Amino acid sequence: MADQTTLDRPTLDENPLRAGVASNRISDPCSIVFFGASGDLMKRMLLPAMYNLRLGDIMPSNFGIIGFSRSEFTNEEFRDEMKKSVDEFSRSGPARDPLWSDFANKLSYVAGTFDDVAAFKALKKQLDKNDEELGTNGNRLFYLSTPPTVFGKIVDMLAQAGLGPKDNPKGWTRIIIEKPFGTDLASARALQTDVGRVFDEKQVYRIDHYLGKEPVQDIMALRFANVIFEPLWNRRYVDCVQITASETVGVELRGGYYDNAGALRDMIQNHVINLLALVAMEPPVSPNADNIRDEKFKVLSALRPIDPDRVMYDAARGQYAAGMIDGKPVQGYRDEPDVNPKSNIETYAAVKFYIDNWRWAEVPFYLRSGKRLARKYSEIAVRFKGIPHRLFGEAGDSIDNNVLVMKIQPEEGVSLRFSAKVPGPKMHIRSVSMDFNYGTGFGVVSAPAYERLIGDAMRGDATLFTRWDAVEAAWAAVTPVLDRWSQLKDDSFPNYASGGQGPISSDAMLEDDNREWRTI
Amino acid sequence: MNAQHISLDTDAIRAELARIKREATTVSATTINFVVFIDDAERRDWVMERATMIADKHPSRMLVLDCSSTDDGATVETFSGDGHGTITSERISIPCRNIEPAALRALTHALTIPDLPTVLWWTPQETAGNPHFDSLIEIAADVVVDSSGSTRDNDAITGLAAFLERTRRRLTLRDLAWMRLSPWHDMVAQFFDDAALREELFCIRSLKIVSGSSAEALYLAGWLGSRLGWRACGKYEFCDRDGTPVTFSLVRDGAMRRVQSVAITTTSSTYTAEVTSDPGVVRLFVDGKKSRPERLAPLQAIDNASLIERAILERQSDTIFETALRMVGAILT
Repeated sequence: MADQTTLDRPTLDENPLRAGVASNRISDPCSIVFFGASGDLMKRMLLPAMYNLRLGDIMPSNFGIIGFSRSEFTNEEFRDEMKKSVDEFSRSGPARDPLWSDFANKLSYVAGTFDDVAAFKALKKQLDKNDEELGTNGNRLFYLSTPPTVFGKIVDMLAQAGLGPKDNPKGWTRIIIEKPFGTDLASARALQTDVGRVFDEKQVYRIDHYLGKEPVQDIMALRFANVIFEPLWNRRYVDCVQITASETVGVELRGGYYDNAGALRDMIQNHVINLLALVAMEPPVSPNADNIRDEKFKVLSALRPIDPDRVMYDAARGQYAAGMIDGKPVQGYRDEPDVNPKSNIETYAAVKFYIDNWRWAEVPFYLRSGKRLARKYSEIAVRFKGIPHRLFGEAGDSIDNNVLVMKIQPEEGVSLRFSAKVPGPKMHIRSVSMDFNYGTGFGVVSAPAYERLIGDAMRGDATLFTRWDAVEAAWAAVTPVLDRWSQLKDDSFPNYASGGQGPISSDAMLEDDNREWRTI
Repeated sequence: MNAQHISLDTDAIRAELARIKREATTVSATTINFVVFIDDAERRDWVMERATMIADKHPSRMLVLDCSSTDDGATVETFSGDGHGTITSERISIPCRNIEPAALRALTHALTIPDLPTVLWWTPQETAGNPHFDSLIEIAADVVVDSSGSTRDNDAITGLAAFLERTRRRLTLRDLAWMRLSPWHDMVAQFFDDAALREELFCIRSLKIVSGSSAEALYLAGWLGSRLGWRACGKYEFCDRDGTPVTFSLVRDGAMRRVQSVAITTTSSTYTAEVTSDPGVVRLFVDGKKSRPERLAPLQAIDNASLIERAILERQSDTIFETALRMVGAILT
């Protein structure tokens, strides 16, 4: 950046008008290719996100967007489809001219299946055309918004068509891969082998939209922009950590996918374990993506493998039955569309982990996630140890442990529970909660996760994306539980009522440790 | 919400606040002391609506100094943003019509929470020279003003520039009229991100700005001049680094506080950024020897509450603003 005082002489290497002028615009021109462009995610999230990046003046000055999928569309038909999706789903309202026409002119479409070499050659031709006509300078970002089963195939076809990074000396080539990255450890490793044959790790952006949420990023700010918590953030003072991601919704229209996945794969293995990594990691040496991801990996690699014989004690599963949500009756999981009426898939999972390192030795981390629970909320609760010696409190007063809660959704903020004397002649002690809630934005609304993450990938900032070593460690952590649960049917299913706190077995897991879950 | 008039006495106001807080189920959190000064009854609702938005998002102790009010006593109110009884903001309203500046400063200071930054949102257009302004800035770490929006823009900016020259206090001064311009700074800078055009910055011969109010146009000109080493060589007159005159014309047209177009003419070309029929889109084009294809750029309209929030969050003084303000002050006097 140029000197911020008045310019004395021309400094033509830099634009003197840029000093102090903030711009979030992405500097590198590029083409973005969406595989699965006729799918629901593209319509609801991805294309509206791209349009909003343009409206927010985040997109680079020169860009092109190419849709690729099986459906037969001309460029014009694809633009019409995309306009409909913006009109219906964009947070900024319907598409408006003149900006929409300008944006639409940069949209093109290639029809083909994911094993069609000719289609990938046509894609290459379109990318070259974008470089020439739209000035995208050879920079390419591929977004795999397809079923995971074809991830490997697409990567292979990119290489065959000469679209891999090694074939593109002119600019950069990156790939965004949607979750889930594999369905278990073995399939994740196989996929990684396919991806690794074509892309270096630095070119791979494994997206987990949950990590793009602002409150998740707030966790690092709370930990590393304050000094008061750090001395307490260890086994000497922390009794346990509870991480909860609960939902009131059922599987809705995702029954077909969910009945092959379950809560452990769908939430714990990625979202919730990532929260564990953020709360337990050591301070990174810098906010640089690799420094942060190094620390997250160290935590995940220190997760104590769960003994297969202890899965029944260190993990709990549940499946929702019919019940009431928000005063309205809802059906049970097995009655949901596209779900096997005898399904043995869990809609609730809880796991106890230990992190075998100096900081966290023998501190349990309890993770849980479930559908159709009493309340929609996500939080990380750090429960501190009890006082060593009781001085105060009348008989009958309980002196609760201090708890620091990082609230992720729907409220964003922090609360601290501590004990205080009740005013009066007696020494009654009660717990009070000191709450801090950040309000939601006004005027300028913070960008939804997809906008943030796609923008970051275009910039080459991988901080909020998951590196392979962390994905592998997370799969390794849940594998003993997945294996045991797939081997043993749970005859108690469905074992919790919709709108409740989850299965009794989950409560028992903590009762065995003389602890209890925070109320959902 | 609960409000009853109480005497203008620090202890009485504190006691009332303590009483209300005892009734809340949990304690509160506060990030700033937010002092809002009002002298115009017609603008009061507009100001309070925005101040409340700020306080809702940034838990605050808000001190409303209302010199337009005819009330006799202060009121104390608390607000629960989460609906669970947690106090997320406190508001103490003080009718100040009959309070001397020094007394008002002392009362305000006594009611602020120590250790938290005190932000003064000064809503009158008259700034330096107003006895209350000169007094209240003594207790503020950050001062937010808006010199735009009336026929007195020039006086307001001249006053601010003079204030900046003479103040010895370490405070952060923000003018919403300047902050509103950040998208326009980016628009103009975009032309010269192209390295091939950068030398053009040093052969500018004229600058024409069309704007609904003067303050924004003056700041934009002051910014460009201060970035390029220009100096004032007369009223509304710039000379570039070599002493060559740069003609500056300001045309008032369009909505208040909105810039409509900027045209920079060099010895070879004219660089124009102008709002299209969609007020959210700007057309950027270059005519002449260095002509470039037309481009469209979104124009982010930033509402006042967001601007004030930005002013609160950016705690460092803005040296580019201060340099531009000095330059504007120089061409106005």
